[in-house]
Amino acid sequence: MKRSLIKLAAATVSALSFCDTASAEWSKTYVVEWNEPAMYYGAKAGVIDPGTDCPKGSNPEVDWVSVLSKGGYTEAEAKWLRNPANPSRSAVHGQNQMAFRGADKANVYIHPETTPDPGLVGVSGDIAEGINLDGDASTGFVSPNGEKGIDNTFYKTLGCWKTYRGPPRLSSGSLTMNDAMREGSWTIVVVVSGKGSDPMNDSNVDVGFYMSGDKLVKDGNGQIAHDYTFSIKPDAKFEALFKGKSSNGVITSKTAADEVWLRDPSYTRELQLLRARVSLQMLPDGSLKGYVGGYRPWKPIYQGWVDARGPVIEALTWVQLPSVYYALKRTADYSPTGAGGEKTHISFAERIEAVPAFVMTPDASKPATTVKSYKSLVKPEAAAPATRFGVIDGLVPDPKVPFGEALRVYPVPETVASATPARAGGGN
Amino acid sequence: MTTRFNRRSMLRGLLGGSAVCMGIPALDIFLDGNGQAWADGAKLPVRFGTYFWGLGLTDTPTGGTRWVPTKHGAGYEITPELQSLAALKDKVSVFSGFRAIGDGKPNLVHWSGHASILSGSAPGVTGSFDAPSFDTRIADAIGGATRFKSLEISPSGKALSYSTRTGRAFATPETTPVSLYERVYGEGFQDPNNPNWKPDSKVMLRQSVLSAVADQRQALMADVGRADQIKLDQYFTSLREMENQLEIQLQQPEKCEACIVPKPPGEGKKSASIDVVNSNTKVMARLLAMSLACNQTRVFNCVHTPGSSETYIAGDSKIYHQYTHDEPTDAKLGYQPMSSKLAGMVMQGFGEFLAEMDAIKEGDGTLLDHMLVMGFSDTGYAKIHSLENIPVILAGGANGKHKAGQHIATKGESVTRISLTAQQIMGAPVGEFGVGAMKTSRPITEVMA
Repeated sequence: MKRSLIKLAAATVSALSFCDTASAEWSKTYVVEWNEPAMYYGAKAGVIDPGTDCPKGSNPEVDWVSVLSKGGYTEAEAKWLRNPANPSRSAVHGQNQMAFRGADKANVYIHPETTPDPGLVGVSGDIAEGINLDGDASTGFVSPNGEKGIDNTFYKTLGCWKTYRGPPRLSSGSLTMNDAMREGSWTIVVVVSGKGSDPMNDSNVDVGFYMSGDKLVKDGNGQIAHDYTFSIKPDAKFEALFKGKSSNGVITSKTAADEVWLRDPSYTRELQLLRARVSLQMLPDGSLKGYVGGYRPWKPIYQGWVDARGPVIEALTWVQLPSVYYALKRTADYSPTGAGGEKTHISFAERIEAVPAFVMTPDASKPATTVKSYKSLVKPEAAAPATRFGVIDGLVPDPKVPFGEALRVYPVPETVASATPARAGGGN
Repeated sequence: MTTRFNRRSMLRGLLGGSAVCMGIPALDIFLDGNGQAWADGAKLPVRFGTYFWGLGLTDTPTGGTRWVPTKHGAGYEITPELQSLAALKDKVSVFSGFRAIGDGKPNLVHWSGHASILSGSAPGVTGSFDAPSFDTRIADAIGGATRFKSLEISPSGKALSYSTRTGRAFATPETTPVSLYERVYGEGFQDPNNPNWKPDSKVMLRQSVLSAVADQRQALMADVGRADQIKLDQYFTSLREMENQLEIQLQQPEKCEACIVPKPPGEGKKSASIDVVNSNTKVMARLLAMSLACNQTRVFNCVHTPGSSETYIAGDSKIYHQYTHDEPTDAKLGYQPMSSKLAGMVMQGFGEFLAEMDAIKEGDGTLLDHMLVMGFSDTGYAKIHSLENIPVILAGGANGKHKAGQHIATKGESVTRISLTAQQIMGAPVGEFGVGAMKTSRPITEVMA
C-alpha cells in the first residue's frame, strides 16, 4: 500500500512537472514512421542467416508431425492433421487441433505448463541495441557503438525467433506491423522541447509521445510524407513523457519515468514500460531516431501471440508457443515490488524513427510546443474489441469442428492411414 | 460488295407446294470491311470479365521483384512471374505501383485489396463490400441482350465470387466444368446457329405465367410494409431478370459465326492442389469462351483462387498462403523462392485462361480481341498483406478500344484509376469511380484508344 502511494505521488509530481506553466525556448515535433523492438542482427546478409547473435541462424522450422506425435497423436493422425486436404485445417486460421497436445490433450496455448518446455534458443552474442536501464555498466550487453550496460533481456530471450530477427526494418514481424501503422491503423506523434538556446546541447529537454487521430500520409515514393499536420488525441493510456537533456543532438533521460505507455507495434498492442528512459538523436535532416526503453510485463507478450491465433503463429513463425512462455518466465529480470519480488517484467527497448511533422494541440488551435499531459482531456469512447477474429483460447472457432474434435469429425482416411510409412526423418 | 441478303435473311422456296425457308449461316459478306462489325453497322459484341487470383505476385522490400517489368510503356520485358503471358504480351497491359488506400479503415487482410478495386471503397467488414462491384455496372450496360447477364466461375471448387450488386450478397459461381456446362448448355440453351430455331414452348409457358401474375404482384407490393417491400423488390428484380431472359430466349438469336456447341466435359477432380485448379481453369475457360462466342453472356467473373488461397503443390503439407508468410527471403536470390514458384504456377492458370479466349477465331481476330479481361489480386507483398503495388492486368483488345501491350508504372496511385479505365474502355457511362482518397476521375488514357 505504502509503495503504491509513493508511486502515485511520484506520478503526480511527474505530471505536474509537465504542466504548461511556461513556454519552451525551442521545440521540434515529429511523427513516428517506423517502430520495432530493438533487435541487433549479427549476420552479414539475409534475415535468418547464422551470425554472432544466433550462431545457428534463426530458430529452425518446427517438425509438427514430430511435435504432435509427442503430444499423443499417432503419426498417421499427425500427418492427416497437417494435410492441406483435411477440411479441419483452415487456410486462414490454421489447424486448431494443434493446440491440444498438452497432458490429457490440454490446450497448450492457455495451459503451456501442461507440456514440457520445448526450449527456445536465445541470443548468445554480446551486442545489443537499447538503453542502460539500471545504470550498471557491468551488466547487460554492449551496444554496437561500444556503450556498456545495455539492458535488453527481451532481445536476449526472443532475438533468434524468426518473427523478430533481421536487419532493421526487415524482420517479418516489424514489416507486418509497420505496414499496418503506415496504412493508417494508428499514429504516434512526438513533441520535443527545451529551455536552452541550443537544442543540440540543452540540460532541460522534455520529450512526449502521444497518439493522434490523424492518419499517416504517404508521399509519391510510398514513404511517410514529411511536414504533415497531426493533432494530439488525448488517450487515457497511451502517453509517454520524459525529462532529459541533449548533448550533441542526443537526448537522454535524466531520470527514469516511473511508468509510460506506448502503442506497441505488435499483437500485444499495449506497451507498458516501467523505469522508462529515452535515447533519441535529432538528426541533421530533421528526423529523430533512437530508442525508448524500460521494463515491460512479459505475460502480455505471450498472450498477444496466443490471441493472434496460436496455430497460425506457430506455423508461420516457426515456434512452439509454450517455449516462448517458458523462456520469458525464466528470463524476466525485473520486479516492480523490489528485488525479492516476482519478476513480472523484462528489460526491453523499442527502436523509433520519426520524421518532421507539425503537431497541434488536441483542439488544433495552436502548435504543441511544450510537453505536458493531456490525459485530463480524454473523452470516453467505446471499448475496442478484445481480440481480432473472435479468438477464444488462442483459436478461431470452426462451427463444423468443435475445439479438440478434429479427428472425430474428420477421421484419418484409409488412404492416409495405409500410406504412412515408418518415419525416416523430419518434415512437417 | 453489296447483296440483297443480310445476316437476317432467309432463303425461301417452295417444296411440295409448301413454302419453306432456311436460315443462312454467318458469312464474311455480312461483316464490314474491317471484320469488326456486321455489314449493317452493328458491331461485334465486346465482352468484359474479371479474373482474380489470390496472394499477389512477388515483390519484396529489398527490391526482389519477380513481376514488375523495368521497361515502362510499350515493349515491356516479360518477367519470371509473367512468363505465362509471354505469347500474348502484345494483347496484355501490366499495371504496377498502384495501391488500395484504406482511408483510415483497417487493412482487412485478403479482402481490402480486391474490394477496393471492385467497389472503389475500402470495406469496413470482411466478407462484404461497401458498394456494388463495378462489373455489375458493365453487365447492366452490355449484358441485357444475352441469356445470362453475367456468368461466374470458381475453378478452385470454392463457391466464391466477388461480384455483388449489394455488397452483402455475392453471385453464386459454377465451381466445376460439369456444372458450368449444364448451366450454359443444359436446359434453356438454344444454338444461335440452328437453322431450325423455334421458340421453346416451355419458355413461352413460363413467360405467360409470369405475365399472368403481374397484376397480383403489383397489388401485393401495395399491401405490405417497407421491409417486406424491400424483400419483394429484391425477389421481383430476380423475376424481372428471368423475364428478360425468357424474352431473349423467345427471340431468334443472332447467329454467331464463332459459336460451336461444345461437348460435355468429363467429371473432373475437385481439389485445392494447383495442378487440379489449373486444369479446371483451362476446361472452364474453354467452356466460358464458347459461351461468350455463342452470345450466352457478355460478362463473366472468375475467381481462380480466393484471397487467402489454400492452393498447394500436390504432396506438400504447406499451402501457398503459409509459404508467403513463413518463407524467409533468400539472401542470395532476394525473394522467397517457393512463394515465387507458386506465384508462377498460379499465373500459369491465367495464361491458359487467356489462351483459351484467344483460341477462338472471331471476325478478323479472336474472341480475346473483342473483349477486355481485368486480372488482379488482393495484395502486393503477400507476406505482410501489403496493399501497395497490387498487380493488375488488362488483357484483350476490347474491339480496338484497349491500346494493349504496355507497362504502366506509378508510385502509389489508387487502384481505382485502373477500375475506372476498364469501365470507360467498356463504354460504361461513368466519369469517376471510388470514394474518399480513392475517388478518381482520371482514367489511364495511355491505354485507351
